[in-house]
Amino acid sequence: MQRNRPPSPQTINVLRALAADPAQWRYGYDLATEVHLKSGSLYPILVRLADRGLLETSWKPGVGSRPPRHLYRLSPTGREFVAALTAARVDRSVPQPHNRWSEA
Amino acid sequence: MGGLFFVPMVGLLGILIAWYRRDPQRFLDGPTEDAPLRLTRWAIGLLAPQRAEWGQAMLGELGHIKGRARRMRFALGCAAAALVLRPWGRAAAGVWAMIALAAGSVGLYASVAVHYRLAGGDWIAGGILTVFVIGVLLGGSSLVRRPGVAIPGLLGGLIVVLVWLALSGFTFLDQILPDIVHWHRWVDLIVVPFAVGAAGTLWSGDPVAGKRVARLAAITSGLGLFVYTSIAVAVIGGGGPPDQDGGFTLRGTVSDRLGNNMILLAFTTLVVATIGWGGAAAAGRLLRRTPTPTIAGPISPNPEPQQEA
Repeated sequence: MQRNRPPSPQTINVLRALAADPAQWRYGYDLATEVHLKSGSLYPILVRLADRGLLETSWKPGVGSRPPRHLYRLSPTGREFVAALTAARVDRSVPQPHNRWSEA
Repeated sequence: MGGLFFVPMVGLLGILIAWYRRDPQRFLDGPTEDAPLRLTRWAIGLLAPQRAEWGQAMLGELGHIKGRARRMRFALGCAAAALVLRPWGRAAAGVWAMIALAAGSVGLYASVAVHYRLAGGDWIAGGILTVFVIGVLLGGSSLVRRPGVAIPGLLGGLIVVLVWLALSGFTFLDQILPDIVHWHRWVDLIVVPFAVGAAGTLWSGDPVAGKRVARLAAITSGLGLFVYTSIAVAVIGGGGPPDQDGGFTLRGTVSDRLGNNMILLAFTTLVVATIGWGGAAAAGRLLRRTPTPTIAGPISPNPEPQQEA
């Protein structure tokens, strides 16, 4: 059973980094460096995002003796998720009038 | 007392390290072979089969990171990720089981030593215990990554422990002051480990895997029995009937009992591994002797003409 917990701050940071240029494929180590995450935290986050269909993955063939590299970018669902996440945060940041008291 | 344990413990550790490094091909994979790469390979071996792609992703990323410190940090992170990524593979579950046993062993020893304010010699022995436990943990974690070893190995260790406890008695007092029956030891240390090794070979159909099963069973049974007997010492402490060869003070008695547990740990691990290895090898010989059924006979290049009836 998959739990729908709200994303952690680290996950949100990864999503934002990927959403900065959604069309661009990103390397895992570059992402980790950008969001200041260790690989031990980054990979579980990437795996979870990929499991939920928010992430597209691809392989860049290796050059010479170097191994192929895994690439990541947001899927269309992932882009919608980030947009919804940003909208929800904007809504929360706007001060809400206390209608309940004024209506009374 | 610390010196008494030092030589056999360090000797055993040396044997384990020599065993691990015995195959020079292990380190001849190319010029980029280094500790972070080996660690990452070890880590991705823990992943469940459906996570194999992520293991290759970690390896691929490591191949593009320069600097030993950066590579090592990345590899350590990958190892941590491999241990927590769900679903756990059998290897990861096995490693967690052994980590729990190892942490329980050292933690119980330390808690008893602190509670009874044991002397410096016991702390030296505790340090040796820690080194020994880390050694067997590393050895065990390399064994559980092998295909078909984790489940039978852990199961074999559990069987050894259960038979040992069933014969010696499940109570804590039975463990601290065992009433040793001669044939019980034959069953505990010869028959059951031999059967575990042989079953490992028959299970996998490969004597090499059977020997690995025996070694893993030895590690888990040694640690399991140590945890159980350490709990017994933690609960009973210096109580119960006086030991025949124990100390004359409370601290001396507790220290003696902890020392007995350490001897049991080293002894059980070595004996179960050795006898189990023998059982696996014997079963392997039996398998080789068993003729395999052939589907068709040998094809002769010039078959003799058959006379029609």
